[in-house]
Amino acid sequence: MSNIDLLGRRKFIAGLGIAAGAAMVAPAMAVSEKADGVKWDKEVEIVIIGSGFAGLAAAIEATKHGAKDVHIFEKMSYFGGNSAINGGLFAAPGTPMQKKEGVEDSVDRMVNDQLLSGRGIADEALLRHVASHAVEALQMTLDAGAEYHPYLQQLGGHSVARTYQTSVSCGAGITQPLYKECKRIGVNTHNRSKFEGFLVGNKGEVVGVKMRQNYHFGEEQPGKVLNIRAKLGVIMATGGFAQNVNLRMAQDPTLTAEVGCTNAPGATGEGMFEMFRLGAIPVHLAHIQSGPWASPDEGGFGYVSNYSIFNFPHSVAINRLTGKRFMNEIADRKIRADAELACRDEQGNPLPPILITSFKDSKAHPNTEKVIKYNVGWKFDTVEALAEHFNVPLKALKAQIAEYNGYVNSGVDKQFGKDMTLAKNKIIEAPFTVVRLWPKVHYCQGGVKVNTKAEVTDSLTDKSIPGLYAAGEVCGGIHGVSRLGSCSIPECMVMGMTAARSIMKV
Amino acid sequence: MKNFNIILGLVLLGLTSLSVQSAEIRDYHKEVIGKDCKACHDNGIKQFPSDQSCLQCHDVDELAKKTARSEEDKWQNPHNNLHYGKDVPCQECHSEHKTKEPLCSNCHTFKFDKHKG
Repeated sequence: MSNIDLLGRRKFIAGLGIAAGAAMVAPAMAVSEKADGVKWDKEVEIVIIGSGFAGLAAAIEATKHGAKDVHIFEKMSYFGGNSAINGGLFAAPGTPMQKKEGVEDSVDRMVNDQLLSGRGIADEALLRHVASHAVEALQMTLDAGAEYHPYLQQLGGHSVARTYQTSVSCGAGITQPLYKECKRIGVNTHNRSKFEGFLVGNKGEVVGVKMRQNYHFGEEQPGKVLNIRAKLGVIMATGGFAQNVNLRMAQDPTLTAEVGCTNAPGATGEGMFEMFRLGAIPVHLAHIQSGPWASPDEGGFGYVSNYSIFNFPHSVAINRLTGKRFMNEIADRKIRADAELACRDEQGNPLPPILITSFKDSKAHPNTEKVIKYNVGWKFDTVEALAEHFNVPLKALKAQIAEYNGYVNSGVDKQFGKDMTLAKNKIIEAPFTVVRLWPKVHYCQGGVKVNTKAEVTDSLTDKSIPGLYAAGEVCGGIHGVSRLGSCSIPECMVMGMTAARSIMKV
Repeated sequence: MKNFNIILGLVLLGLTSLSVQSAEIRDYHKEVIGKDCKACHDNGIKQFPSDQSCLQCHDVDELAKKTARSEEDKWQNPHNNLHYGKDVPCQECHSEHKTKEPLCSNCHTFKFDKHKG
């Protein structure tokens, strides 16, 4: 137990906070308080802040282990956070589909892929913990009624196919079943409830939260603030801060408001800030990831993102100025995002590259029809028509496609070292489907430091802050420099389940 | 005194105009509700209404049927959509005293021709 006066260090933490979010304005930042003499408006067992994968999984797991009074609070009017709008891609080693398809995989192999992408600074203990329990989390989704495409995908940076995708190609294919399961088992859900701070006991333990009622995101209005006691614990599952332009620019000045973002509007980081006030350790805040599969032709995550993720293994990405490839299409996200951003015209202005796929292969994914219908993707019967439409040098493009098809046949990419396993027998030929690529801010690797029990570490004592747990994207350090695609859902769910197990002492 | 009364009258008229403008109401609601602010404002006039307020008169299941789309696009139904089902509160896309864009427009280019923001 820490006897340090956590709130007495406000000036120290505030200095850090001001530096991190110097231009932050309304709404005012939350403020935690001592719980002495507080009149409780409500007393519950477990408070969960946030309704994405982590929060929903925590609620189900806690109830399964005997919690009688679990409450999820969501500041937006609708539930699901970024989880409800993401690609629904779930990586796990040793799954039923891998066994069926004869794919050799293991916790070690998945962790090694992630450590490589993390460029030496990922948290191996946490990665191993998540990979070891990922199948349990997948099973929770199946038990709740989630459905998946009948094939595995191999996303960038993964050495083997290990990724499930929901049959609706969206995280809602998981959040909706989990949300309905929460309702079914009696979890209490509250929308328009904004977290306004922690209530801290005499020993520095978290004993409750302040929640503002009738909150309307982006509006100023005087909803009442309730003091809610959490008898067993508080789980922070508030997600990342990709939508907080000031904070992301403080870490990386190039991430201006003009840079597109895939996130839901509420991903602004207040929950994380409040944990910093309490003494949580900030980890890797500057490692902010952009999605290399995003399109400049539609907002947010849209349809192209999932289309590209599915097709990268058997497609070529082409620089429109040169007509040549410029990257391994299934390298990790940072390699690809940086390579895409380097695609410029003669004046140095952005020239979004194109992803070319054979229609015979792209048509296997439901988003292909949608990208064409909504004019964020195109179909061409000849390479000549394609080259003319995007102003790509025809001769160079033809030569590149012929060269790449040689790699498809030989199984070895001598240009960029792409793993050609999933490209086998899938040569690039007409008719083609094509999308434009341009990275968007997608995921914050940074957040608060946690251990493998989802406990939040105090910066002064290096011990856990009692009563406080965190799970999902609000946590930092797990993925290091670059998160691999489809590794967020297992992390969110496993750590949500872990927080619940820690509270219920399973 | 006569001039003072004229000025006072003009000021009051101006205030009345401002007052009316600051609480502009949709024609279709004016016809049914008139000037009864409390018909919607169940949290008091200074706060947004609760999400249940609209449901006193509107039924989400009925609305979902009215705005249903073809099988191919069925999840683009604004009242029963892929991400949130039927759970998005009315106020997220419809505002009485201002205008709002559909929530879907943050990421998608769907057409909602009948949307009354």
